[in-house]
Amino acid sequence: MPNPDELATLPDADVVRLAQQGRELAFRELVRRYERPVFSLVFRMVRDRELAEDLSQDAFVKVLNHIDRYSPEFKFSSWLFKIANNVAIDHLRRRRIDTISMHGSPHASTASEIEASALNLEDEQESALDELESKELGSAIERAIARLRPEYRACIMLRHVEGRSYEEIAATLDLPLGTVKTYIHRARHELRKALEPLRE
Amino acid sequence: MQDRHLRPDEIELLLDGEEGFGVAPLRAHVRSCASCHAELEEARALLLALDTLPDFAPSVGFADRVMSQVQVFEPWHAAALTTARQFVPATRPARIAAGLAAAVGSGLLTAGATWAVARADIGFLLAQVGLDRVREQAGAAASDVATTVLGQPGLDAMLGGSAGMTAAAVGGFVAVVGMGVVGLRALATSSRRAR
Repeated sequence: MPNPDELATLPDADVVRLAQQGRELAFRELVRRYERPVFSLVFRMVRDRELAEDLSQDAFVKVLNHIDRYSPEFKFSSWLFKIANNVAIDHLRRRRIDTISMHGSPHASTASEIEASALNLEDEQESALDELESKELGSAIERAIARLRPEYRACIMLRHVEGRSYEEIAATLDLPLGTVKTYIHRARHELRKALEPLRE
Repeated sequence: MQDRHLRPDEIELLLDGEEGFGVAPLRAHVRSCASCHAELEEARALLLALDTLPDFAPSVGFADRVMSQVQVFEPWHAAALTTARQFVPATRPARIAAGLAAAVGSGLLTAGATWAVARADIGFLLAQVGLDRVREQAGAAASDVATTVLGQPGLDAMLGGSAGMTAAAVGGFVAVVGMGVVGLRALATSSRRAR
């Protein structure tokens, strides 16, 4: 069994194989490698540190408790990001806060009701963003990312923060390649529009 | 291409570094249009900003909290391999010596097994003689016990008599032994009660 220093030099596939043989150090090495990227992805998705920790922990526990089901034909990190993203998206769907804040309440029947509900929630979102701005997600670009649709946000994070290819993102999020490209292009366009006032 | 500015999707094509027939006119337009050139540069600056966004770290003890919920399960084949590895010497000379010893031991075992197979008839004969000896000894011991319990005349009568008589003798013997056991237990119980 390699020691922790040797484990750190092994590729993911070898560390996963050791984990499948029941080596606790290998499990810890996988957590060490991916705790920051997974936490960053989930944190930017849900924008709440404590919640992001809980959801990231859920994602790791799900993956590591089913490590025997991992198929080596896929990248381990893609599998892990897929679970983490699903956990975050499931949470957001339960809360539905982002959908409502962007498009107004789904129960609103008139244009004025939609506008009113969207504005109210936008205010709440703004205050949450103000709070975040004073903490970690301080920059304008983080604020703009926070306003993207969750699907766009996940794609942008995986593409630019994690440096994944379009194909990897498509595999990770179970989306067609064309959809991933469209999401990323639209997200970047929205980000440019959101940051436009800062340039003027 | 010179009559209009680039659309957002065309900007994205250039940002992704797409190559192809349709991209050349877009590039040519950017070279000649200051507005589109500026827009493309701003888009590139955004990509750079996105690419350099930092990772966030979870709080200290995150890994421990995860591991407290992970069930580390060692499959039987991995456990067997670990156990077997414990018997492998650590140093190279010791491993060579152990390998030689294992080779010699397995060679001797193979030779012994080959010899035993080749001499199977002798083995059968020896086994037969051994079994006969055991049977004779067991018969003699049983006869001694019967003589002690029944006496020689009783044993002769049992051996010489009919099957019914043999059964009556054995039944009588069992009854006497049974009554003896019951009597001894009653005696022991009354003794305990008295105490």
